[in-house]
Amino acid sequence: MRSPARRTTWAVALSATLLLAACGGGDEEGQSSDDPIVVGISLPLTGDFSEPGKGVQEGYEAWAKTTNDKGGLLGRQVELKILDDQSNADRVVADYEQLIGSDQVDLVVGPFSTRLVVPSARVAQEYNMLFVEPAGAAAEVFNQGFKNLFYAAPAVADDHYNHLAEYLLALPAGQKPTTVAYAAMDDPFAQGTAYGLKKKLEAGGVKTVVDEVYPPNTTDFGSIAAKIASAKPDMVVGGSQYQDGVNLIVALQQLNYQPKLAAFSTAPTSPEFAKAIGNKTAGILSPTGYSQDAPYPSNKEFVEKFTAQFGKAPEEDQANGYTTGQVVAAAVEAAGCAEQGECQQKLIDWLHGNQVETVVGPLSWDATGKPQGAHMIQQWVGNDIKIVLPAEAKEADLVYPKPAW
Amino acid sequence: MPNASDATAAGLRAPGKWLPLGAAGLLIVAIAAFPSLAPNPYILSSGVIVLNWAVLATSWNFVGGFTGYISLGHGALAGLGGYATGLLITKAGIPSFVALLVAALLVAALAVPIGFAALRVRGASFVIVSIALVLILLLVFQSWSSVTGGSRGLVVPRPFPGMLRPEHHRVFFFLYGGLLLLALATWWLLDRSRFGLGLKAIREDEDKAESLGTPTFAYKLTVFVVSAAFTALAGGLYALWFGDLDPVFQFSVLTGSYIVLMALLGGVRNLYGPVLGAIVVGVALEYFKVEFGNSPLHLVTTGLLLGLVVMFMPDGVIPSLGGLVQRLRKGEQSSIREMTAADLAEQRKREREGASS
Amino acid sequence: MPSGALLFQSIILGLLLGGLYALLAAGLTLYFGIMRVVMIAHSAFLILAAYLAWWTSTELGIDPLLSMVVTVPLFFAAGVLLQRGLLSRLRPVTLTMMSVLITFAIALMIEGLLGYAFSGTQRRIQLSYGTASLELFGARVAVVKLIAFGLAAVSLAGLYVLMKRTQFGWALRATIQHRDAARLVGIDTERTAGFGFGLGLATAAVGGTALSLDTTIYPSLHWHWIGPLMAIIVVGGLGSVAGAAAAALLLGLAQSLLQIPMGATWAQTVFYVALFATLAIRPQGFFGGRLAQRF
Repeated sequence: MRSPARRTTWAVALSATLLLAACGGGDEEGQSSDDPIVVGISLPLTGDFSEPGKGVQEGYEAWAKTTNDKGGLLGRQVELKILDDQSNADRVVADYEQLIGSDQVDLVVGPFSTRLVVPSARVAQEYNMLFVEPAGAAAEVFNQGFKNLFYAAPAVADDHYNHLAEYLLALPAGQKPTTVAYAAMDDPFAQGTAYGLKKKLEAGGVKTVVDEVYPPNTTDFGSIAAKIASAKPDMVVGGSQYQDGVNLIVALQQLNYQPKLAAFSTAPTSPEFAKAIGNKTAGILSPTGYSQDAPYPSNKEFVEKFTAQFGKAPEEDQANGYTTGQVVAAAVEAAGCAEQGECQQKLIDWLHGNQVETVVGPLSWDATGKPQGAHMIQQWVGNDIKIVLPAEAKEADLVYPKPAW
Repeated sequence: MPNASDATAAGLRAPGKWLPLGAAGLLIVAIAAFPSLAPNPYILSSGVIVLNWAVLATSWNFVGGFTGYISLGHGALAGLGGYATGLLITKAGIPSFVALLVAALLVAALAVPIGFAALRVRGASFVIVSIALVLILLLVFQSWSSVTGGSRGLVVPRPFPGMLRPEHHRVFFFLYGGLLLLALATWWLLDRSRFGLGLKAIREDEDKAESLGTPTFAYKLTVFVVSAAFTALAGGLYALWFGDLDPVFQFSVLTGSYIVLMALLGGVRNLYGPVLGAIVVGVALEYFKVEFGNSPLHLVTTGLLLGLVVMFMPDGVIPSLGGLVQRLRKGEQSSIREMTAADLAEQRKREREGASS
Repeated sequence: MPSGALLFQSIILGLLLGGLYALLAAGLTLYFGIMRVVMIAHSAFLILAAYLAWWTSTELGIDPLLSMVVTVPLFFAAGVLLQRGLLSRLRPVTLTMMSVLITFAIALMIEGLLGYAFSGTQRRIQLSYGTASLELFGARVAVVKLIAFGLAAVSLAGLYVLMKRTQFGWALRATIQHRDAARLVGIDTERTAGFGFGLGLATAAVGGTALSLDTTIYPSLHWHWIGPLMAIIVVGGLGSVAGAAAAALLLGLAQSLLQIPMGATWAQTVFYVALFATLAIRPQGFFGGRLAQRF
């Protein structure tokens, strides 16, 4: 046994040395004004959030192409460096670590999903980098004390249903729903949307009869649906991402439960939604932060260019990615620089004091990076989903009580 | 009477005795020098991750190496250490590094009932329990959101607020280095103790060990608790370094399988085996991530490697390769001893003479 | 206090779920009986079968149940190969421990390959009868759940007949009870053991198809199945098919009923509580299983 032991010992020593040697490779690249501006991004291209992650990626790519077609930023071309974080918090941190520390990118922008935004924003903060992100909508993103973070969308999760809450509470006493069931994924964003509405309705005297929270990997919604159906509430609210929303709706339909109103976040706006629940979509509501028909100046260009580039119209995720690019670009143009170091603080300071025109409307932020606005409410009418709230943007009237599904 | 031949004899015996110490010295130098040699903070952060793996694999080897019981659940013990540290800081307001030590003690205490259930029966049930441990903790930490933060995760306050990231990595690299040396020293001491002998007897034949009077159950339980404490320390340190805990990643079956792969690859009967395995697998993991990005093929590769090691080299790749090299080099020599019997007799004679003079 | 209808609904859901558990646990018990192997990859094969059913339905546009025509023989062959090619080659002394690692490695590979082929996105079969349900004494039972239960029940009954009434079943039981003695009376125990493994894996093919009808699947889902299944075979007593079936129905029912007061996630802990309690109090299991003590 003595000899193999010795060999192992030396092998340890050898590989430690090799490790050291292997690490000596990364050298600094010289900066010049003709170099492209490299934007580092980590996105969930595989794993739990791969579908929305790919959507955001398309948004970023569309922004880079549109910007470069117009001559770039500060006369420099924009180049995206995208890494895949597998929807994994360990990976997202390592990715930004690599992008900032090793690849020396000039700017970083955010990943998808609130769960990944907080860890990655901390990396950016500790390297003193500006961090504009397309997806960290939950309240806890903004009470971490980040000074470098900006959420590039109209409203945080808790405010998504504001227009709906106002509408319901303004109904006459006889029509107003009296009981509501809530089921939300244990995810800061999804739960935030449902609980934002819950808080407002409870304050308005609407009773909560079921309040269920399920973990993200739940696949069997039979028991949650049974609980909801047996309580027979007037209204059901789902704080959902995509598949869980579909599963819950199918499970409710299996039990033949017919609420007067059904609102689910995210899932109903997805292009595959109707097919996934067998076209039984009648009257389902959903909040959305983006509409292809919105009248903002840059939106028309975005829809056209995006459709030309990808052969389909942009959805909310794509718009969020694009908006993030627009926000960063506005800051870069105003500050006149885009590299690591002191420039980053200039970008941060500018965004704290100014408003940016984007495809989702004008955006401005408070000191924590929280945007000031609310989401539109859409409803499935026939075979299409239409904006029903707020009144000034509506394409159709809200149908209440909703037809049977 | 000291003379030249004495020195030669000492030189013959010395490698086995002094090499672990020499390697320890080399390891210390490597740990001390690495942060200043690392070209950028990213490499340094990878170094922290590799050291984390090395501590985990060495801690695992207290159970795996001594008793032969293979635990796939050590990832859960590390996760528990991380969460305990984080919760003690956020909920009880205990200073970061005190919380780390208290957390390790708590996990060690919890390891007693877990070990009690898991070690009463042999092999298969132990592995079942170790996997079940990961799954049950995942469930509990996801569901008990009022305390653990649930799927939203838990943010662990920074132990050194305001410290910039590169400096933060450097501090934790040294902390991990210290912990690794402590774990190695403990393993080395156990290996030489009567207790260690009893544990190895369990590995070779549990029934015989028991009939010869070894209190096998108590021994197994004790070493499991020691292993759990070291694992929890590594997990707690990770929580302080990384800052964000999410049940899905803290209680992942994959963590345990990487640990087993590292330990088996390096060789479980050797002090430095798991460290070597951790360096090889840990560096490979980071390298493949940078070169090829992440893909589910990582799982396939891990599974494939684990399968190959188990099928063909259950004693570890390095020992097997070492054995192979030795066989090739020795050629026709049939004796398995390193010294011939005549040499040995001569040496002993000289020792006796040396002792009497 | 939950309403009577909800209670009744939960009992039915629990029994339906328990049936599926029983079928899968039967496979695991077979492996353990034949060669003291804890087959971690069982539920990974389950998910693989579910994915194949999903693929059949989505890409070929035919009913997912038809995928069994291919998957059942395929999995049977894979089981035979697995036993002959890998497990029977391990050292007997460390067989139990190393077989866990080998099958664990296989589970990882299946998960990785599924992730590579179909991505980590959750998938669900869209069936024309997916939301249909039957009324049963005031409870609503989804048609797809009934089909899944029917599949499990028929396969379990088939397994029972095969074990009790056929020459092969007789040889298999003899091999499980006493391998050397079985060899002495002229049974080709090697071949029988291989076929036994194939049979065990075939239950995963049936189970996976049944599962795919009404659940969302994703590559790492198998970890959520292997935990409960291992708990079931330990509680039932390692190696006892009848014990496993009883434990499966009991725990499935308990899980479903506990979901009412505790919610879906906490209810799953019933399996692990039962597992730890069994090992701490009665390691040989509650339904026979004379083998467990030594493993």
